[in-house]
Amino acid sequence: MEDLLAEFIAESRDMLEALSGEIVAWEADPADRARLDAIFRFVHTVKGNCGFFEFPRLEALSHAAEDALADVRAGRRQPDQALVSAVLAIIDRIAEIVAAIGDGREQPEADDAPLIAALDANAEESAPAPAAAATRAQRRQSATPRTIRLPVELLDRVMSGVSDMAVARNDLARRIAQHEGETGLDAPFNRLSAILADLREAITRIRMQRIETLFSGFPRMVRDLSHELGKQVMVEIESGDVEIDREMIEVVRDPLVHLIRNAVDHGIETPAERQAAGKREIGMLQISARQTGSEIRIGIVDDGKGIDGDKLVEKAVAAGILTAEEAKLLSMRERNALICEPGLSTAKEVTAVSGRGVGMDVVRANIEKIGGSLMIDSTPGSGTRMMLNVPLTLSIVPSLTIGVGERTFAIPRSYVEEIVRASSEEMDSAQIGGREFITVRGQRIACVGLDEILGVESTCPREARLYVLIRLVGGDLFGLAVDAIHNHEELVVKPIAPVLMACGFYVGTTQLDDGSPVPMLDVSGVARSAGMIREVKDRSLRRELRHERTEERELVPALMFRGFDGAERAVEMDAVRRIEKLPVSALRTAKDGTAQAVIDGRIVPLIGLGGFKPEGEEINLFRAGEDGDERAYAYAEIVDLCEFDPAEVVVAKGETGQRLALIGGRPVELFDADALLAGAAILANAEA
Amino acid sequence: MDRSLLLVSIAGERAAFASEIIRSVVELDGITPVPRAPEHIAGLAALRSRAMTVVDCRRTLELPEAEVPGSLAVVVEIDEFLYALVVDAVEEVVPFDTEPSEIRADLLPGWARAAIGMVETSAGPALVVDPAKLIEGPAKRKAA
Repeated sequence: MEDLLAEFIAESRDMLEALSGEIVAWEADPADRARLDAIFRFVHTVKGNCGFFEFPRLEALSHAAEDALADVRAGRRQPDQALVSAVLAIIDRIAEIVAAIGDGREQPEADDAPLIAALDANAEESAPAPAAAATRAQRRQSATPRTIRLPVELLDRVMSGVSDMAVARNDLARRIAQHEGETGLDAPFNRLSAILADLREAITRIRMQRIETLFSGFPRMVRDLSHELGKQVMVEIESGDVEIDREMIEVVRDPLVHLIRNAVDHGIETPAERQAAGKREIGMLQISARQTGSEIRIGIVDDGKGIDGDKLVEKAVAAGILTAEEAKLLSMRERNALICEPGLSTAKEVTAVSGRGVGMDVVRANIEKIGGSLMIDSTPGSGTRMMLNVPLTLSIVPSLTIGVGERTFAIPRSYVEEIVRASSEEMDSAQIGGREFITVRGQRIACVGLDEILGVESTCPREARLYVLIRLVGGDLFGLAVDAIHNHEELVVKPIAPVLMACGFYVGTTQLDDGSPVPMLDVSGVARSAGMIREVKDRSLRRELRHERTEERELVPALMFRGFDGAERAVEMDAVRRIEKLPVSALRTAKDGTAQAVIDGRIVPLIGLGGFKPEGEEINLFRAGEDGDERAYAYAEIVDLCEFDPAEVVVAKGETGQRLALIGGRPVELFDADALLAGAAILANAEA
Repeated sequence: MDRSLLLVSIAGERAAFASEIIRSVVELDGITPVPRAPEHIAGLAALRSRAMTVVDCRRTLELPEAEVPGSLAVVVEIDEFLYALVVDAVEEVVPFDTEPSEIRADLLPGWARAAIGMVETSAGPALVVDPAKLIEGPAKRKAA
């Protein structure tokens, strides 16, 4: 929380600094739409963050300013000097409060109400303007930096210098090897290598941070948010060991927060709505990351109500963003992308969390600023998948180098689920409709040959090929057939030239130890060209599948019997050594309630009698345990031979550790071998 | 203003690059082909720890293939990417301080696309070409 707060303060300060120019320009020309949007984004962002941190004053101020500005954006109100002054006064107050929070001081005592009232369209022009000027000057002083910032170019230069050194080292290594130990350079060379390896690692760390540090705050945020909205949301986070540029973490945080907020606020429905739609009450939100050379892909998938593409198009046409003719030509993805247009939002009501269609245009502006992209796939009724691609200027990617024919390629290891050999016994392969499918442990997976995709000649017989099973960000799995797997290594991946990027099969280039360049494959580009990417997965369908699987699950056979106390119990069949009858004369009951039976010439503790005195000549019992440590359990009669689902067994709380299984729709106390052996005393006591 | 031009020869013709954009001239050893890349991209090669995209100038200018593929390349840097432009020969660097003049003739389509203008140098006339256009390659021929 401390970290997040510090970031919030730093972010707000940065934005305020950047905004000061905009404010002046807007003051000069209140009709300037771009400035208006920039200022609007600022107050919106502050408002969003306040919801997270509980700064009621900041929230009230930013919400009020946002409302007024939204009216202007929607054309319901003309920006005049009074409004400009009022908004500026609010921004200055926000700056003051932020500065106070940042320095750990008490928030300045002041009444915010007049500032908020001044926003009112009918308010008379009054005093806030001069006050604003004064506080603005004050702010300048308080913004002294407390950390040292290094230009990223400098780090880049150091890093590329180290990479150059590594290549030179490899060259030197080859030359030394040619002299077969006669140079006397081996020891110093090895030392140099070790130092270089250390240095390389250190320099890499300087710029990299695990994306987990970014993701770790999200579950809490979603929890608070869904609480506030009366929704139930389960968050699944998968960081895929992705490391991301420190700088990039800062840049993507804000867009991600917006996307997640939107998913929870607008995507996932209330429990009642979900139930009505036949979905599980708890919504699912999946946040995952993958590193692919020069890009990091962050997926945010929800199983909410999806985006209403038709409504978006309708609104966009109404707002004059595009014509009805143009609208007809849009692809699904392009229609969804309309959600990022300023001023468009399909939300029916504006909430404190998000709304007004501002979040998404902020998101897109921020992502595009860093050369990233945002793709939105949505299926109305069953969910939305938002895919955020952000570039990496430089990164180390744990990779797999693979070969087809003479060619070598790298793929990011984070995508690789498993490698299966074609000849392996676990695998089964079939040709269906011209496409190869393999079956691994009961799962049928579509496959494609890398040779076929890239038009490279494979030099490997079909049955000797290897299948790299690749899990895409959206969760789809497919197999990529290759000739060989060369190595697992950490590769420095650099962006690939735009002219090559445009082919859609590569995301970067890397160099092997010998200095030769190797292209890194764009795994999803490869999958896309083979038609392996499905639309947004239908989670409700998946749930049904899972349900069916439960029914197929192996059931455990059990023996259900009635004890002398009249209760029905069950024992796992595996625990029963033998079911037999014994003459009553072979039993002995002690005064303390314990009992023994003589079986095959040995004395075995007998359970289940309780205080009951058996009548007749014989008694039913079954035996459990092993020789030397055996128990006999006496029962009145066998009710049934039955089965139960081990997944449905419930363990009762408390000392008894009683286990209940659902058999024939009724809960029945269940024993396994351990319970019979260990629990003999407890059982005896319970019965006594 | 002391600008200069690097004169190279491509398919028997003289071309010139503004020397301020040239990083170096290298002899390429080993090009890694990149499948599915546009035709005029020969592949990738390394310049120390950096990868260069190798552009075959004959192909990008839609000229006949060389009998012996050239290995001499002019390295330029555009938007932080290195490109190696493979030429047949590198001639010399000549000083040049005026603007290239307009070309008053119909050139072959490849040359017409890449040419900025013509210059008269001490070594004779030469066509100044824009590396960015060479890298871009023949128009409308998108990769599969």
